[in-house]
Amino acid sequence: MNLLPLFLILCSLVTFVTGQLLFKHAMETSHTGFDRHFAKFFVPAIACMTISFFLTLGLLQRFDLSYIYPFQGLSVIIVSVMGGVVLKEKLTLQLIIGALFISVGVILVSMS
Amino acid sequence: MPRATNWMLVLRWFGNPWLQLGLNALIVTVSEIFLKLGARETANVTKQWNWTGVTGLLSVWTWLGIVCVILSLVSWLYILRKVPLSIAFPLSNVVHVLVPLASWLFLGELIGMKRWWGISLVLIGLIIVAKPVAKIEEKL
Repeated sequence: MNLLPLFLILCSLVTFVTGQLLFKHAMETSHTGFDRHFAKFFVPAIACMTISFFLTLGLLQRFDLSYIYPFQGLSVIIVSVMGGVVLKEKLTLQLIIGALFISVGVILVSMS
Repeated sequence: MPRATNWMLVLRWFGNPWLQLGLNALIVTVSEIFLKLGARETANVTKQWNWTGVTGLLSVWTWLGIVCVILSLVSWLYILRKVPLSIAFPLSNVVHVLVPLASWLFLGELIGMKRWWGISLVLIGLIIVAKPVAKIEEKL
């Protein structure tokens, strides 16, 4: 199997997760106003998401949608855990088990 | 006076973050279908730049897809203001059920046995995540 597509998928995954965390933090600070502090997180978030978007588009030109898209399912468990670790959100066991189910399901989908 | 109240009710209903989460999943699914149609149309345009995906911009479908992506981003940001990321994000993954179903229905892609199993697992995970949230909502 060619490694380049896998590497590109990994890149789109990392930029995607980083973008989500930045977005959430930006929206939390937005309660006090759309100021400089908000932009400091919102602009990098947009940049991450844009990179992720074009990488995905390039992959879509070569593979079926139902093959490419589910790879982002790995991001479920990553984003949930990072939400707890980085953003200090409350993680329950039930939430992690649910997220794991979703991730495994998505991997199964991506392998078929 | 009653008319104004009605509008407020509609706005409040539309502003419900859980409703937005459902709408968001639908828009994301539609955007993925549009993007795939755009990518399919531009797959063999040129050999240069072909891994970056920018050639996809030559198709109208891609632009429609981008409009949907922007709409979904706006609703997603709204959701993030109200719901923790670690709950909203797993729930937004209902798209992993909707996208294969839509690819099957509208793009003629095939879904094998393994993929149906995967879709079922995602559904189980969604229920596990959503259940305690639904309980909290009931109490409110």
